[in-house]
Amino acid sequence: MADLMYIDSYFKGEFTREQNGEFEQKIKDDPGFAEEVAFYCSSMQVLKNQAAEEKKIRFRKLYEETKQEHRVKSLGIRKIWPYVAAAAVITGVIFGLYLYFQPASLQQVTDQFMKKEFETEMGVKMAGSTDSLDAAAHLYNENKLTEALAQYEKIIQSGNNTELPKRMAGIVSLRLGDYDKAIEYFSQVENLSSYSNRGKLYHALALIKRNRTGDKELAKQILEQVIEKNLEGKKDALKWKELL
Amino acid sequence: MNNARGSLSSTDQQLIDDLRQEGAVRRKGEDQLFTTYAYLIGEGMRKYSLVEDEAFDAYSDTILSAIDNIRNGSFEGRSTLKTWLCQVFYNKCVDLLRKRSTNKNRVYQTASIDDMLLQLSDSGKSVIQNLIDRSDQDLLKQKLNELGDNCRQLLTLSADGYSDKEINSLMEYKTADVVKTSRLRCLEKLRQLYKRP
Repeated sequence: MADLMYIDSYFKGEFTREQNGEFEQKIKDDPGFAEEVAFYCSSMQVLKNQAAEEKKIRFRKLYEETKQEHRVKSLGIRKIWPYVAAAAVITGVIFGLYLYFQPASLQQVTDQFMKKEFETEMGVKMAGSTDSLDAAAHLYNENKLTEALAQYEKIIQSGNNTELPKRMAGIVSLRLGDYDKAIEYFSQVENLSSYSNRGKLYHALALIKRNRTGDKELAKQILEQVIEKNLEGKKDALKWKELL
Repeated sequence: MNNARGSLSSTDQQLIDDLRQEGAVRRKGEDQLFTTYAYLIGEGMRKYSLVEDEAFDAYSDTILSAIDNIRNGSFEGRSTLKTWLCQVFYNKCVDLLRKRSTNKNRVYQTASIDDMLLQLSDSGKSVIQNLIDRSDQDLLKQKLNELGDNCRQLLTLSADGYSDKEINSLMEYKTADVVKTSRLRCLEKLRQLYKRP
């Protein structure tokens, strides 16, 4: 008993360094004492395993009590998964069909119009020409819009009152997002008498793009004029008016 | 003990704190840790084709190992409890598959004797290790069952890391000193039973 108390104190860490040294020396010097230490260690090992076994029995009981709940948790996602996947696929197909068949918005239609109408290359005269309009067209074709606008405005300021520089200044302004300036130029264009004048249609387009309060109403009125007077762009005017 | 490092949720941290306590709080923590992730038993059955008892054994061993590692500070909280437990559990499932034909019902070895002998110097350790190798663990286990419930519970709690003070409150002794005396008497009784021819 005294030995066991001594051994227990050592393994519980109750000794000083000096006492630990004495303890270890005793193991080497006293075979009977070493036997006692070995017994203590073996017992603790067996007891720890016993404690683990008892915990496993307790865990088994807990598991049996909550088994159904854990099964549901484990199997739940697996069972539901095919249905979730099927629902996701169906939702995706429906959404895709909706996107495919839904009517295009006014903004989409006008964007498509601008792309088709304004992003084609301008015709220029034969090589060697130094015409300022050709120079502006070159800049436009190279997508140097700011420089092209400056060039067209320079032509207008020089007194050229024809339809082309004003129309192009309006188009470039529209593409640059300067809707106020575009509206100003297209207003001038629509009042010029020229063959194939699309000034009113572009004016309405610039108003639709600017989209300030009252712009859509004004655009609608202009489009109605295009339709009634059978002006250039009637087909597009009809389409846009429907969407306004 | 090492502190958790930020990968842990407040629930994980609470669980770890409970497991590092003693007595009823620790026991509650052990039960909660077991039940929180017990759905892994189903995962073991499904992913590794284990029968329920095998998956239960692997999971119980995982939890016992986790409790030890949390209590001794080996678990540093670098991952969430779930990630860590899953890894340990899946490794145990794989081990179980490998050992299926040899040793089905081996109980988790809570602490190896090596751990206990760490305190000894090399020369002392080798003397004790040789003696332990010659001891009869099965006989010791058998004699432990002859001790009586009270003694066995007292010794088991002590071996499981409960202090005499904790055992005093759990088993309603008068003082911690009485626990210590009773515990050593029980150990002495076990020794006599073991040594008896």
